[in-house]
Amino acid sequence: MDELLEQFLIEGPEQVQQAGEALLALEGGPDDAALVDQAFRAIHTLKGSVGLFDLPAMGRVLHVAEDLLGAWRDGRQTPSRGAVDALIAATGQTERWLGALAATGGGLPADADAVSADLVSRLSRVLDGDAPASAAVPARHIDTAWVEALFRDRELDPTRHPTVTALRYVPDAGCYFRGEDPIAFARAVPDLLALRITRRDPAAPVAIAAYDAYACDLVVELLSAAALEAVKGPFRFVPDQIQLLSWSPPPVPSTPVPPPAPAEGPRSLRVDAGRIDALALLVDELVVAKNALSDLAGQMADGLAPQAAAQILSDRQAALDRLVGRLHRTVMGIRLVPILPLLRRFPPVVRETAIALGKEVDLVVDGQDVQVDKAIVEGLFEPLTHLLRNAVDHGIETTAQRVASGKPARALISLVARREGDHVVIAVTDDGRGMDPARIRQAAAARGLLPARMLDALTDDQVLDLVFRPGFSTAEAVTDLSGRGVGMDAVRAAVGRQGGSVAISSMAGQGTTVRLVLPLNLVLTKVMVVAVAGERYGIPMDGIVETARVEPDRVQPIRAGRAFVLRDTAVPLLPLAGLLGLSEEGRLDGVPCRAVVVRVGGDLVAVEVDAFVGRRDVVLRPLTGLLSAMPGLLGTTLLGDGHLLMVLDVPGLIAAAPGDTAPAGQGAP
Amino acid sequence: MTVEVEGTVIRLRGACAAEDAEILLSRLQAAPESEIDVTACRHLHGAVVQVLLALRPNVRGMAEDIFLRDWVIPNLAAGR
Repeated sequence: MDELLEQFLIEGPEQVQQAGEALLALEGGPDDAALVDQAFRAIHTLKGSVGLFDLPAMGRVLHVAEDLLGAWRDGRQTPSRGAVDALIAATGQTERWLGALAATGGGLPADADAVSADLVSRLSRVLDGDAPASAAVPARHIDTAWVEALFRDRELDPTRHPTVTALRYVPDAGCYFRGEDPIAFARAVPDLLALRITRRDPAAPVAIAAYDAYACDLVVELLSAAALEAVKGPFRFVPDQIQLLSWSPPPVPSTPVPPPAPAEGPRSLRVDAGRIDALALLVDELVVAKNALSDLAGQMADGLAPQAAAQILSDRQAALDRLVGRLHRTVMGIRLVPILPLLRRFPPVVRETAIALGKEVDLVVDGQDVQVDKAIVEGLFEPLTHLLRNAVDHGIETTAQRVASGKPARALISLVARREGDHVVIAVTDDGRGMDPARIRQAAAARGLLPARMLDALTDDQVLDLVFRPGFSTAEAVTDLSGRGVGMDAVRAAVGRQGGSVAISSMAGQGTTVRLVLPLNLVLTKVMVVAVAGERYGIPMDGIVETARVEPDRVQPIRAGRAFVLRDTAVPLLPLAGLLGLSEEGRLDGVPCRAVVVRVGGDLVAVEVDAFVGRRDVVLRPLTGLLSAMPGLLGTTLLGDGHLLMVLDVPGLIAAAPGDTAPAGQGAP
Repeated sequence: MTVEVEGTVIRLRGACAAEDAEILLSRLQAAPESEIDVTACRHLHGAVVQVLLALRPNVRGMAEDIFLRDWVIPNLAAGR
C-alpha cells in the first residue's frame, strides 16, 4: 500500500471521529460555534486528503458536507435536526469506507457510487433549504478523460508519476480586459509535466477577416507533479473558471493487479516521542554496560584474581539484568494505546441504531487512562459494536414500555473500561428490561441446545450463559440490526481470539451487564517445555529462577519430603508428576535428577521433572469452561507439531497440592 | 516594438503583450503566408497565442525562454 494512503488511513478515522463527536454534541447545543468549527475543520481536512486519491464517491460526499458546515460556520444557515442527522450519516458512511479502504488496500465497495449519490442528494437538499427531492443537485460528474489523454500524449510514465495534479482552465471571454493572461498563469505553475493550449473548439472554422483577438478563446489544460494547493495558487482569482483535481493513472494492463490483501487493516503504531526517547536512553545505558564488560575482560587478561573477577562480573550481570528488564517493559509499553478513542467511536453507532429502531438512547463511555495492547484494541470494535446494537435492540424497551414501567423515556447504556491487575475489564451495561431466565430456558429447550434434564439442573446464572451458545437467539423477529445469524457466540469467539472471556449478568426489569475481560497485552510468553511421565508441559520462564541438575547424594529426605542444598539454602524438591497427580513410578533412584527452581512467595522451590525439552515463545490461551476453575493451570498453547501444551502455574499447583506434598523445611539453613 | 516585420517573416521579440495581438493579427490578415520567428521571444500573451492558434502561421525558431520553448511553442505547431 502506498505511503500516502497508509498515512491517510491512520489520520482519516481520527478526523471522522472528531467530526462525529462534534456533530453529536451539536444535537445538544446547536448554537455552539466551536463545535461547528471543529466539525468543519475535520471534514475539510478529510476532503483535502481524499482528493489525493482516486475516490470520487467519497470526495463528493465530503464536499457537500463541507459546504453545509461552511454555511453554518458563516451563519448563512443554522443547524437543524435533519441536517445534523444527514451529516452524521455522512460521517458514518465515511468511516465505513475508510474501513473498506484499509481492508482492500485502496478500493471502495461496488455500491459506493450509489450510496454516495444518495448522501449527496440528502445533504444538498438540506443545503438548498429543504427543496424538493427532484431539485437536488445531481452528483457532479467529474470528467477526467482529458487528463488521461494529456497524460498519454506526453508519454508520462505512470510508475514515475503515480499521482498528478490536473488543472483545466477555461478563461471567460472578457478575461483580457481584466488584465488576466492565461499563459502567464500557466507559467507560474510549479513542476509542470504537461501543458496543452487549444482553442475552445479547435475544429470550428476561423473567420480570419473578422477575428477578434481580444475575446478569449483559449482552453489551458495542464498536469503538474506539485500538490493541489501549489497548482491552484496562480489561479486563485479565477476559482470559478478552473477544474482542479488530483489524478492517478489507471494501472497498466500488462502488469497484473495484485489481489486485494485479506481483510486486515494496516498495521502501524503511533508512538509518543517520549517513549522513543526513553528507549534511546536505555540503549545508551546498554552500550555503557557492554563497555563495562569489555573493561572486565581486559582486567582479567591483566591477571585480576578470579574471586574479584567473579564479584565484579556478578555486579555487572545484575546491572545488565535490570537494564534488559527495563528495556523489555518499555518496549511492551509502546504497544499499549489508550482505549478511549475506540470507545468514543461508539456513540454514533448507538445513535444510528436507536434512530433506526425509534428508541431514545444515550451512551456514556468512560475509560480514562486505560491502556491496552494495540492488537487487542483493534480486535474489539466488532464485538463491542455487536454488544451495543444488541443492547439497544433487545435490551432497551420501547419508549412506551419504559414510560409504562416508570422508567425515564431516554434509556442509558454505559460502556466503561477499567484496569484490574493485568486485565482490562470492559462492561456494557443497559438499564433495559433485563433477561428472563425462564424465557431463555424455553428457547434453549425449543432449539434443543441441551436436554431438558440438564437445563433443569442449571442455575439462573448458568442459563444466562446459554446465550453465548452458537445459534441462540431469543428475539422473536430477527431484526435487521442484530440478526443475520450472528449472535452472542460470535462475540465470545471474537473476545476469545484476543485471549479474553465474556460473562453476562442481568436483573429482570433493571438491565443487563456484559463484561469482557481481556489481557492488557497479547504478547508472546516464554515457556520452558519439560517432560514428565511421558507428557510435555510448559512452565513460564519468568517464574523460573534456574534449572538444576541434582546428584542423588545431595538429595536429603526431610520429614515427608525431600530437599537439597542449593548455594547454602535448603530447597524443597517436589516431583512434578506428584503435583499433577500422575504416576511417579517411572522415577529412578540413584540417578541425577533434573529440577526447575522457581520462586514461590519469597522462597525457592525445586520441581523435579524427567527432562528439559527446550524453550518456546508461545501465545498463551486462557482456559475456558470447566478447565478455567482448575488450579495450577495458566492456559494452553498449540505447539508447532499440533500438540496441545498445558502451561502450568507452578505456585498455584503447589498451593493446591494436598498437605503431604507441601514444601517442607523451607528456609532452613 | 515587439512585433517586427522583415519581408515574409514576422519576428516576435521580448515580452509580447496583449496590444501586440492586434498588430500581429492585422499583419497576418494582410499577409497570411508570413512565418513567425520566436527566437528572441520571452513571453507570449494569451491574446497573441490565440491569434497564432486561430490563423496557424508557420512558427519557427527556438525561443530563448524555456517555458515558451518547452511548453507553449509545441502547442502552436501541434494544431497544424
